[in-house]
Amino acid sequence: MSRLACLWVPLFPLAARLRAEPELAGEALAVTAGNGAAAQIVAATRAARRLGVTAGMTLVQARALVPKLAARNRDNACERAAQEALAEIAERFSPRVEIAGPGILFLDADGLAGRFRPASPTAPDWTPERELGRALAAASRRAGLPARVGIAASKLAAQVAAQTAGSPGSDPTEPHIVATGSEAGFLAPLPLARLAPELGLGETLTRWGLASIGDFARLPAAEVVSRLGPAGAELHTVARGVDPRPLLPREPPLDLAEGSELEWPLVALEPFLFLAHAALDRISRRLEIRGLGCARLALELTLEPAGHDARAWELPAPTRDTKTLLTLVRLELEARPPGAAVAAFLFVATPDRTRPEQGTLFGPPALSPERLATTLARLFALLGPDRVGSPRPVDGHRPERLALVPFAPPAAPLVCRSFSRPSPAAPPPASGKGLLAVRTLRPPIALEVLVEPRSADHEPAPTHIQSLAGEANDKRPAIAGAVRIAAGPWRLEEGWWSATPVAREYWDVELDAAGLFRIYRDVATGDWAADGVYD
Amino acid sequence: MIVTRRLTSATIPMAEASAIAPLSSPSGPRPGLSSVLQRLEGPLAGRLRSGRELASSAVHDEPRAAPWSIALPGLARLLPGGLPRGELIELTAGRSSGRFACALMLLAAATSAGENAALIDLGDALDPQSAAPAGIDWSRLLWARPRAVREALAATEAALTGGLPLVILDLGLPPLPGGRGAEAMWLRLARSARQHDTLLVVASPYRVAGPAASTVLELTRGRALWSGTGSAPRLLEGADGRLTLTKGHRLLAPQAQALRLALPA
Repeated sequence: MSRLACLWVPLFPLAARLRAEPELAGEALAVTAGNGAAAQIVAATRAARRLGVTAGMTLVQARALVPKLAARNRDNACERAAQEALAEIAERFSPRVEIAGPGILFLDADGLAGRFRPASPTAPDWTPERELGRALAAASRRAGLPARVGIAASKLAAQVAAQTAGSPGSDPTEPHIVATGSEAGFLAPLPLARLAPELGLGETLTRWGLASIGDFARLPAAEVVSRLGPAGAELHTVARGVDPRPLLPREPPLDLAEGSELEWPLVALEPFLFLAHAALDRISRRLEIRGLGCARLALELTLEPAGHDARAWELPAPTRDTKTLLTLVRLELEARPPGAAVAAFLFVATPDRTRPEQGTLFGPPALSPERLATTLARLFALLGPDRVGSPRPVDGHRPERLALVPFAPPAAPLVCRSFSRPSPAAPPPASGKGLLAVRTLRPPIALEVLVEPRSADHEPAPTHIQSLAGEANDKRPAIAGAVRIAAGPWRLEEGWWSATPVAREYWDVELDAAGLFRIYRDVATGDWAADGVYD
Repeated sequence: MIVTRRLTSATIPMAEASAIAPLSSPSGPRPGLSSVLQRLEGPLAGRLRSGRELASSAVHDEPRAAPWSIALPGLARLLPGGLPRGELIELTAGRSSGRFACALMLLAAATSAGENAALIDLGDALDPQSAAPAGIDWSRLLWARPRAVREALAATEAALTGGLPLVILDLGLPPLPGGRGAEAMWLRLARSARQHDTLLVVASPYRVAGPAASTVLELTRGRALWSGTGSAPRLLEGADGRLTLTKGHRLLAPQAQALRLALPA
C-alpha cells in the first residue's frame, strides 16, 4: 500500500497574505471577504484572535472590538502564488504532487523515507517517515507557509492526520504519522462530517442512525452500493481507509507568477517598486528552489478605474538577481509610465536553466554564469538590447555596418594559452610596432571639401576640409584644416543590384594639425563625409 | 604544494603564509624548491610564489594576481612588470595618436589568451571588419555602446561587477557628451576594479580619472608615414608616435618610448 503525505496550511488566506507582507505577522490582522459593511472576517492572526476577533464576524463588529485592527481583503493573486509555492516545496521532495484545495496538497511519499538517516543510532522515537515530515514542515516554514504534515496510506487519513497534527498540547511542527493498515481504525471515531458527503447523502446516513465514520465503514459494501449507488460506494471506500482514486499528479506550470491586489491604487513609482521588490524576491526564491533563472519577465498591471497594461523583458541570460530585475522594471516604468493608477499587478517569470560553467586549475578564471547574466541584464537595462552584445564582422564593405550577437563566451581554456610574464633576462626591443586602427565615425560627419587638381594625370584631390555647420554636427568632433597629403581615391561600390546602391570614392587625408582621416565622396550625390579617424 | 594563480593575501591567511615560508631563504629559493621550479613548465614557474613572498605581498598590499602580458613592445619596456590587474590605468591621447590601436591590441592579447574582456565604446567607434587584423577573438568580447559619459560610467561599473578580467572604457573623441559631474565616479570605479581584480583601462582624449588612476600613459602623435613621393601616388602606411609613462608605481621621472603603428597589409 502506497504512502501519502499531506501538507496542510491552516488559515490559508491569512498565511498567503502574511507571505506577501511578512511585516504584518505580529500585528492584529484580519483577512476579509466582501466589501464595505458586508465584509466578513475569514481568518485572523493570533494577536487579533486573542482580542476576540473570530472568523464569521463582520469587519464592523471586529473593529468595534479592536479599533486598530488591520484588514486585508482576500487576494486571489497572493493565494495562487502561495499555493504554487507550496506545491514547489513538495516537488523538492517528490515529483508526484496533487493539489487538493486551497492550502492542501498530497505528495507520493513512497520510497522517500529512505533518504533520511538518524542523527544518532539511539535517537528515541525516530522513524524515517517522521524525519520526512519534519523536513517538509521545516521547508514550508522557511518559505513563509507554516504547513502541518500528516502521513498515511489514504488521502483522507493523511489529511485528517495533518489537521490534527497541531491539536492542543502537541507540537504543530511535528508530523502526525498513521501506521500502514491502521487507517480504518484511525478514521473510525471521527464524525461523518469529515467524509464531506453530499447534502442528500449526509441526510440519508443521519437518518440511518450513523454517527461516525466507523459506523458507516462497518456496513456491508454491497448493501451500501445497492442503496446509495456509485457515490455511496466511493464514500464507503474512503471510510474504510482506502482511496477510491489514485493520486493525480499535477503538471507543474512553466511560468512562475507573483502579484498582489493593492489596498489603494498607487500613482507613484517608488511605493510600487517597494511592492514589486518583495514580489520579485519571492520569485527569485522560488527559482532558487528549482535551480533555475528567469529568462523572461512579464508584468501585468490592472489600472484604475479600468484598463490593463502589460510589459515584458527578454533577459540576455537567465538570472535570479532581484536587484537586476527591479532595475529593468524601474527603467521601463520611468520611460513609459502606465498612465493611470495601479490597482493590482502580477509578475510572470519564465524560467530557464542557468548556464553551467566548469572552472579550470591552470586556465584563466572562468566567469560566473550567474554574475555574467546579472551584468548583461544590467547593461541591457542601461543601454538597451541593441547596444550590448558581441560584435561580428559583416559581409560587406561599408564600415558603418555592424552585427551584434548575444554575448555567450566559450568555456575558458584548460591551460592559459599565452601567459608570458615579462622576463628581465630578455628585455623587450627599444621601439614598439603595432597596427594602426580606424576609429569609425557613426554616423559619418558631413564635410565641406575644397578640391583642386594635383596634375594633369591625377584626379582632383581635397585640399581643405571642414565639418558642415548645423545641428547634426554640433556635438560631433570638429574637423577642419588644410590637407597636407591626400591619397586616393579608392572606389567602393556595394548593392548595385538593390534599390539603394552605395558608391563612394574614399580618400586618406592628413590635416596639418588635426590628424589622419578617412573621408569619402558619395558618387550619386556628390556629398562629402568623414567616416573614420586613423587612431 | 599549492600551485595556483590566485594565491593571494586575500585567500591565504598570514599564519598559513608564514607556515610555508621555510620553502625560501633570504638568499633565494632553497635547492629543493629550485629543482621543482626547474622541472615545472615556464609559465607555471613564473606563477609559483613562496610563503615569504606571499607574506611580503600581504604586508605591502601589492597587486595580487599575475599582470597582463603586453602585446606592444614599447609599452612592455615602460611597464616591464606588465599591466597590473586590479587597477585603473589611464591612456590619454589626441587624435591619430594610436589610442584606439592600443586598446584593440590589449583586447586582442586578452581574448587570444582565453580571457574575456569588455569594451565600453562611448564613440561607437569599433568596426569589426577593419579591426579584424588585430586578432581579437570576438566571441570573448563584450561590446557596450553607451550614448553619454554617464551611461558609459554606469556600464563600466556593471562590467566590473561581472568579473570580466579586462574592461576598457574608450571615451571617444571630444566633445564628450554629458561628461560633467561624473568626477566622483572614477574613485568608485578604481575601487571596484581592485575589488574584482580587474584591469580597467580608461582611454580618453585628456586626463579624466585624476588620482584614481594608478598608472597614466600618454600617447603623442608623430608624423604619418606615406609611401610615394613627388607626383607618384601616395599610400598611407602607418604613423609614428611616442608613448610616455607619466605616472606609475615608483616612477621618479616620466619615461618615453617610440611607437610605430602600421596599417595592416
